[in-house]
Amino acid sequence: MRLLNLLTAWYILITMVGLLIGGFLIYKKLEKEIDFELGRELDRQIDAYAQRVKAGVPPDRLNYDKLEIKEIPFNLPIEELSLRDTVAYHDPMNRHEKQLKASKSFKTEDKHYRISYYNLVIESEDITETVVITMVSIFLIQLVILGFFIRIGSKRILRPFHRTLSKIRGFNFQQNKPLEFDQYAISEFNKLNSFLSRMSLKLLKDYRQMKEFSENLSHEIQTPSAIIRGKLEHMMNEDISENQAAMIQSIYQSNEKINKIVRSLSMLAKLENEEFEAPETINLSPVLLKVIESMEELIEMKDLNLKTQIKEEAFVKIHPFVAEVLLQNLINNAIKHNQPGGKIQIELNDYSIRIENTGKLPDFDPEIFFERFKRAENRSDSIGLGLAIVKQICKTYGFRPTYRIENNLHVISILFK
Amino acid sequence: MKVLIIEDNEDLTLNMVNYLEQENIRCETAKNLFEAQDKLLAFQYDCILLDLMLPDGNGLDILSFVKSNQITANVLIVSAKNALDDRLRGLDLGADDYLPKPFHLSELLARLRAIYRRSKLDGSDQIIFNEINLDTKLLEAKVNQSVLDLTKKEYDLLLFFLTNKNRVIGKEAIAQHLWGDYTDDLANFDFVYQHVKNLRKKIEKADGKDYINTVYGIGYKFDGNAT
Repeated sequence: MRLLNLLTAWYILITMVGLLIGGFLIYKKLEKEIDFELGRELDRQIDAYAQRVKAGVPPDRLNYDKLEIKEIPFNLPIEELSLRDTVAYHDPMNRHEKQLKASKSFKTEDKHYRISYYNLVIESEDITETVVITMVSIFLIQLVILGFFIRIGSKRILRPFHRTLSKIRGFNFQQNKPLEFDQYAISEFNKLNSFLSRMSLKLLKDYRQMKEFSENLSHEIQTPSAIIRGKLEHMMNEDISENQAAMIQSIYQSNEKINKIVRSLSMLAKLENEEFEAPETINLSPVLLKVIESMEELIEMKDLNLKTQIKEEAFVKIHPFVAEVLLQNLINNAIKHNQPGGKIQIELNDYSIRIENTGKLPDFDPEIFFERFKRAENRSDSIGLGLAIVKQICKTYGFRPTYRIENNLHVISILFK
Repeated sequence: MKVLIIEDNEDLTLNMVNYLEQENIRCETAKNLFEAQDKLLAFQYDCILLDLMLPDGNGLDILSFVKSNQITANVLIVSAKNALDDRLRGLDLGADDYLPKPFHLSELLARLRAIYRRSKLDGSDQIIFNEINLDTKLLEAKVNQSVLDLTKKEYDLLLFFLTNKNRVIGKEAIAQHLWGDYTDDLANFDFVYQHVKNLRKKIEKADGKDYINTVYGIGYKFDGNAT
């Protein structure tokens, strides 16, 4: 939902409530006012008739459907004006209507008369109609004004906000430029912008530090690890016992493992930092064939049956080095976790790559293998980062990876588009 | 052969010097850019082992220094900064090879020899050891004058053994030499065993001696004194 639409919806709602309450109050006030005015008018009429009776006009002649002059005992006290709603017969409309009856008594020298005067009351339906029509027209006018407001609002008032939005959208780490905004007359926008500016500066600084850290970490660990490896290689050439050889081998392999973890983590960090931009598409087919060729011996050694269905031209937008890492990890995974004498099936086309293998079936959701340091069993030859790298590569280039079990086969497929 | 090792870590330098000097390679060392430039101007080297991260600057500067001073030494970059663009930039600037840290000392020696052969001997070299004769130009191995029918990997393996003879070479080192970056499978070194076995068989078939010894579970040794 757009901000402006939300504002408009709220505005309309509040206006409607306002108009409803206003309409009700106006209706009440109008009704009271009309009754009051009508009462005064009737009072005046009655006084006029009383004058005429006092002047000697016989009351009987004055009587008609709206006027009733009645003689009442002289000793009764004079009645003040009283107003009453009644239903009376209305001749022109030929039906009973709600009428207002005003009555008052007066005395001539020897007689006491009560004059009742009827008048049609403006019906409440009529008032309601008037009020509703008025309110609806006000509401419609409001809507028209609102329409203008929205157009102007979106163009003028929210313009700095939209500019800010598009600037944030354009922000990336490669350009290494903090967000910069123009000054606007509205203080809220300026506050927002200066906050965003500061935040982008901090982000860039953190990003640089992270990058340096992962680079330094890999360097700082690799140097001592290289020393350990060198010393062990020297030790191998000393006069050693079988026991010592086993220990050397164990140290050696652990050291190799550290190395591999550091290399993999630094690869992950580089991918996360988006250091491998892919400005153009490359053909994955020859890369895949090269990777398969390099692993052929591993496949033979495990007595695996490899079937491929590789389209000659499969163009995908990816950095060539990363493409190799991706395919290497995928195929290595299919070999390493396969059972001796098992099968591997590889399919590649423009849209996807699909790799099936006959590894041992897990008793949990295989998607978990995409997470870091997650593997089926604690194997010493696996550090559990291969598929995490695959996943990170997919994330970097917008591919969609899935890991499913189909017909008792491990199936990893990656959609490129 | 005389090399200059430009590396700021003393332990690492010591490792390299120990290994290379046993192969009759004369080593001199420099701990930083300044010292390195000093030595390069004063002495002649066949090869420079260059670390990129030095306390007083980037090792890549040495490459332009070598070029502008017409120093004929080859450069082998040895760096832990495993950044892809460092590798490409280094080779662009005229380095002869790039060996990422951590490396196997046997691999370092093999690369050094290979660079030396390429540039100084124009690629052709005869490596003769008793009845074995390797021609690096033809990529051919002979035992008792009869040509062995070796695969590319078996040939590489034999050359690697001869380069590092009388030394224990770890299985990992062999794997990395033959398969490069593809040896991520840490426990599975059966294929190394397979290649060594085949090579042995082929040498024996040509009436060569069995020089290759298994050293416990660690690796192999091409024993020049085998009887």
